[in-house]
Amino acid sequence: MNFSLPLPEIRHDKAGFEALVCLHGQAKDCFFDNIDVDMSATSWFDADMCAAFGAILYRLSKNLNTVKLTNVEKNVVSILSKNGFMSSYGREKIPDRWGTTIPYQRFDVKDDRYFAGYIENKFMQRSEIPVMSPGLQKKFREGIFEIFSNAVLHSQTEMGIFSCGQFFPKRDRLDFSVADLGIGIRRNVKENAGLDLAPEDAIIWATEGCNTTKRGQIPGGLGLKLLCQFIDLNEGCIQIVSDAGYWKREKRKTFTARLSQPFPGTVVSVEINTADKQSYALTYELSETDIF
Amino acid sequence: MSKNLELSIFEVVGSPLCVASSDGQKVYDRIMTALSKKRNVALSFGNITALTSAFLNAAIGQLYGTFSEEEIRSLLNVRDMQQDDIALLKRVVETAKQYFKDPQKFDRAVRETMEDDNDGSQD
Repeated sequence: MNFSLPLPEIRHDKAGFEALVCLHGQAKDCFFDNIDVDMSATSWFDADMCAAFGAILYRLSKNLNTVKLTNVEKNVVSILSKNGFMSSYGREKIPDRWGTTIPYQRFDVKDDRYFAGYIENKFMQRSEIPVMSPGLQKKFREGIFEIFSNAVLHSQTEMGIFSCGQFFPKRDRLDFSVADLGIGIRRNVKENAGLDLAPEDAIIWATEGCNTTKRGQIPGGLGLKLLCQFIDLNEGCIQIVSDAGYWKREKRKTFTARLSQPFPGTVVSVEINTADKQSYALTYELSETDIF
Repeated sequence: MSKNLELSIFEVVGSPLCVASSDGQKVYDRIMTALSKKRNVALSFGNITALTSAFLNAAIGQLYGTFSEEEIRSLLNVRDMQQDDIALLKRVVETAKQYFKDPQKFDRAVRETMEDDNDGSQD
């Protein structure tokens, strides 16, 4: 069968995620079908949202569907070709003249070290990157690594981890997203902590206190908390979508909502304030002899 | 035969980026063998530019599942760490102590936190 599914503009916000989960909801049961994503109404696409979009399309193509992007507007083709997203859909990658993209890429869960190299080479070591203080640069890089590690350790995905980023020089903002096609936070909390929570409550649970779904010999439960603390200090923003839960933290306030359909995994999306001049140096002295 | 083991994390991982839990496991395996033989371990973080909690949990946090706090305190030393990395390692260590001290108590604490959250953290 042939399906034509319309996609509205996709911004880095709740409405953007809602549009993506609706797309997934309409096509998730397709098998051996032709799926055309009609992008004639997609007048804008925030580049980092390619991580979540790419994850959804990958899942649909895994069901042996032929997925095509149709009627893509010129400016959107340009955005999605610069970061390499369109390369999976028949278009050539075009040069990123201003150097503001962190390319779209899919990783396997065993690719932690490759991911670290990707962040270093495709972003941190490029001359075009925003001038960030050394403290912020270190915190940003570690925050991104924490997101990826979190997906590796908790998602149980067999279909990979997707990432993409975009720098907005005029706004002093850098958006970066990591999406996985794993079991999601709600199911993870249910299976490992025995708590049957609403999807958005499961995200709250995973981001607070000493909570962890980690079991076994290696402890866990710090990655998302560290990331949230950094975002609070940086005055940036973090959004998490998992199952049908939407969670956002900005200006030290948390907002949650329920999406109309579940995302088939988890997306963690951060917006970093690159004009942040904090040193991130500790205000007190810690000793190496007083750790254990 | 030396009683002390000097371990360079950079040498074990082969990179300044200590990100992967699997790399942390390689560090853990060496420390664990040395501590089992009651050897002192001096762990150098020299030239390391990025650390994650996932790496440190695997490399050091899980030691608390095998050794007592006293054993770790007396045999394991770290050096060449930046201040914010010491802060991260301290948090990993405190979390690991809680995690292994009493798993049932840990789970209980988790549930209590959730009940507190349900009192209204959404806006």
